[in-house]
Amino acid sequence: MTQIAEENLVADPNLDPETWVDQYGDYLYRFALSRIKDQAVAEDLVQETFLAALHGRKSFKGHSAVKTWLSAILKHKIVDYVRKKSRERTISETDTITATVDGFFHKNGSWKIRPEKWKLDPSKIYEQSEFMDTFFKCLAELPDRLSKAFILREMEGYSTKEICNALQISATNSWVMLYRARMFLRRCLELFWFNKTKEENR
Amino acid sequence: MSHWMFNCKEISRRISESMDHNLPLDQRMLIWMHLLMCKYCARFRRQIVMLREFCRSYQLNENFLDPTAILSPDARERIQKTLKSSSA
Repeated sequence: MTQIAEENLVADPNLDPETWVDQYGDYLYRFALSRIKDQAVAEDLVQETFLAALHGRKSFKGHSAVKTWLSAILKHKIVDYVRKKSRERTISETDTITATVDGFFHKNGSWKIRPEKWKLDPSKIYEQSEFMDTFFKCLAELPDRLSKAFILREMEGYSTKEICNALQISATNSWVMLYRARMFLRRCLELFWFNKTKEENR
Repeated sequence: MSHWMFNCKEISRRISESMDHNLPLDQRMLIWMHLLMCKYCARFRRQIVMLREFCRSYQLNENFLDPTAILSPDARERIQKTLKSSSA
């Protein structure tokens, strides 16, 4: 797409949504497929994204490119889908992870469950869809508000202030929630990704 | 040994907090000193930073997309129809 065409889009977000499918359909589909690995689901998510965009068109201020705006909607759809799906399964495995921060430490404040060494090259991990699956599975195991806070902060890059507004909580509260989320996710990935791959490599 | 700088639980909480807002200089220095002595807290810090990097790259990275994947003509038509009926 030329620069001019893109600028026009930004200036006129109300333009015919039917052209969205031709312009962004493949990109969004590709994106969804890379996360979900299921053709039918990916197609549905693209459709839902366009529908949500259609209804939310008025709130689109043109601060970002249409593509970015649509991608942001799609990402939320993906996260929602994964979380819903993982809740349908009964996972007993993650019960082994202590639910509270206290469980990670001895009474005197020293580590009880010590962070283990992660051996893999992180730049390679991210390409592996299994890692994504594990990550989303772990994310889905968090209590709703914790995972929401984590997604807003680490995936969407919200500031503390924006998170407080979005979740109606205090700053201190948001830091505690993020701490708990990080503590849990770190351990969950360690157990269900890093330890497993370590064993396979042996 | 009751000062928080010797307490891994307190340190890990502050490490996490430092990723969300700026801590006062004295706190940062105490954390830094603790990290020199404690490999587990250092590891914790590295790994939650890694977690952040992963999440951010997941947001941005388009290189992982399969360029050959395209919407099937059926799906394209279906979506266009749905949009049309919904915007009418």
